[in-house]
Amino acid sequence: MTTLRFKTILLAGVIVPATLLITGCQTAETRTIDASGPQALNTGGINSQDWVNAADQLVGSLLSSGALDKSPVQPAVLAVDRIINNTQLNIDTDLLIKKIRVALSQTGKVAVTNTMGLGERAVVASEAAEMDEMTTGKKAIVPSVNFTLYGKLIQQTDRLNGVTQNTYSFQMSLVNVKTGLTVWEDDRAIAKQTKKSTVGW
Amino acid sequence: MKTSRCSVGGVLLAAGLAALLSGCATNVNTVERAQPLATADYIADKRVVTDNSLARTVRVYAVNQTIVSGNLLKIQAKVENLKDDLRTVRYKFEWIDKDGMAVNSPNEGWKILNIQGRDTAYISTVAVSPRAVDFILKFSEL
Repeated sequence: MTTLRFKTILLAGVIVPATLLITGCQTAETRTIDASGPQALNTGGINSQDWVNAADQLVGSLLSSGALDKSPVQPAVLAVDRIINNTQLNIDTDLLIKKIRVALSQTGKVAVTNTMGLGERAVVASEAAEMDEMTTGKKAIVPSVNFTLYGKLIQQTDRLNGVTQNTYSFQMSLVNVKTGLTVWEDDRAIAKQTKKSTVGW
Repeated sequence: MKTSRCSVGGVLLAAGLAALLSGCATNVNTVERAQPLATADYIADKRVVTDNSLARTVRVYAVNQTIVSGNLLKIQAKVENLKDDLRTVRYKFEWIDKDGMAVNSPNEGWKILNIQGRDTAYISTVAVSPRAVDFILKFSEL
C-alpha cells in the first residue's frame, strides 16, 4: 500500500511535470506581425524597422534638399548605381534601395530608368528595348539620365565591458550626370548595443 | 565629540545620496538665441491620450509644417522628455489625403526615439505623396 502510494506520488509529482516541461519546450508558436511594427525582433543586425527608418530619413533629406527640383526635365530620370555593402552582414541592398525607389516614384518627381545600371533589371530592360527596335524598325528612344544614385553601407563594431555596439552607416549620394557634381549626399547612422547575458544555458 | 561624529556621518550620508542621485541624472542644459529668427508655421493640434503613463513621460511641445520640393508636406514635432533620465519611446507618422483616406508609404513604420532627461528632440518626416494633406503622429512606450 505504501509502495503504491509512493509510486502515485512519484508519478504525479515528478514524472508528469517533467514530461509537461519537456514537451512544453518543444511547442512552437508562430504569429504574423507588422514587419515595421513594434513587435519586430530587435537584434544586433539591421532589422526591418532599421531599413524603414534609414530609408525614411534618406528620402526625407533628399526631398528637403530640393536637389531633384533642379532637373531640366520633370520627372527627373534617375539611374540607380551600385550600393556597396561593407558590413559583415549578408544582406540584399534592395532592402534599402527598393524602399527609396518606391518612395521617390510615389512623389512623381523621379522616373527610375532600368535601361542602364547593374543587375537583371537592366539586362531585361535593354533586351526589351532591342526587341522593340527589331520589331518596329524604329530606334528606341531612351531618355537621358539626369541623376545617378549610389550608396554604401558601413558597419563599425566596438566592444567595452561586455557590451557590443554595432553602428551602421547608411551613406547615399546623388550625382548630376551633366556636371559630375554631387548635388546631395547624406549619412545616417543607427547604433545598436547588445549586452551579452552573464547566465548561459 | 559624539555630536561631532554624528554630524560628520550625516554630512557623508547626505553627500553620498546627492552623488548617487546626481550620478543617475542625465539631464541636458541648453543655450539658444533669446529672440529666435525662425518663424515656424505651427499647427493647431488635437490630442488623444490613452496611455497616461506615456503622457507623463513624453509630451509633444509643438508641431510645425512646411512644404518641400514644391508640393510635399513636411511635418516636424518638438518632443520633450518630462523625466530626469533617458527615456525611449516609439513614434510613427501616418498620412491622410484630402478625402480622408490613408496614404500608404513604404517608409511608414514605428521608429525609436531616445531623449535625455528634460531634453527636447525634433522628429520629422516628409510625405512622399503630394496627395497627403493631413497627418497622425502616434507614440507608444517601448
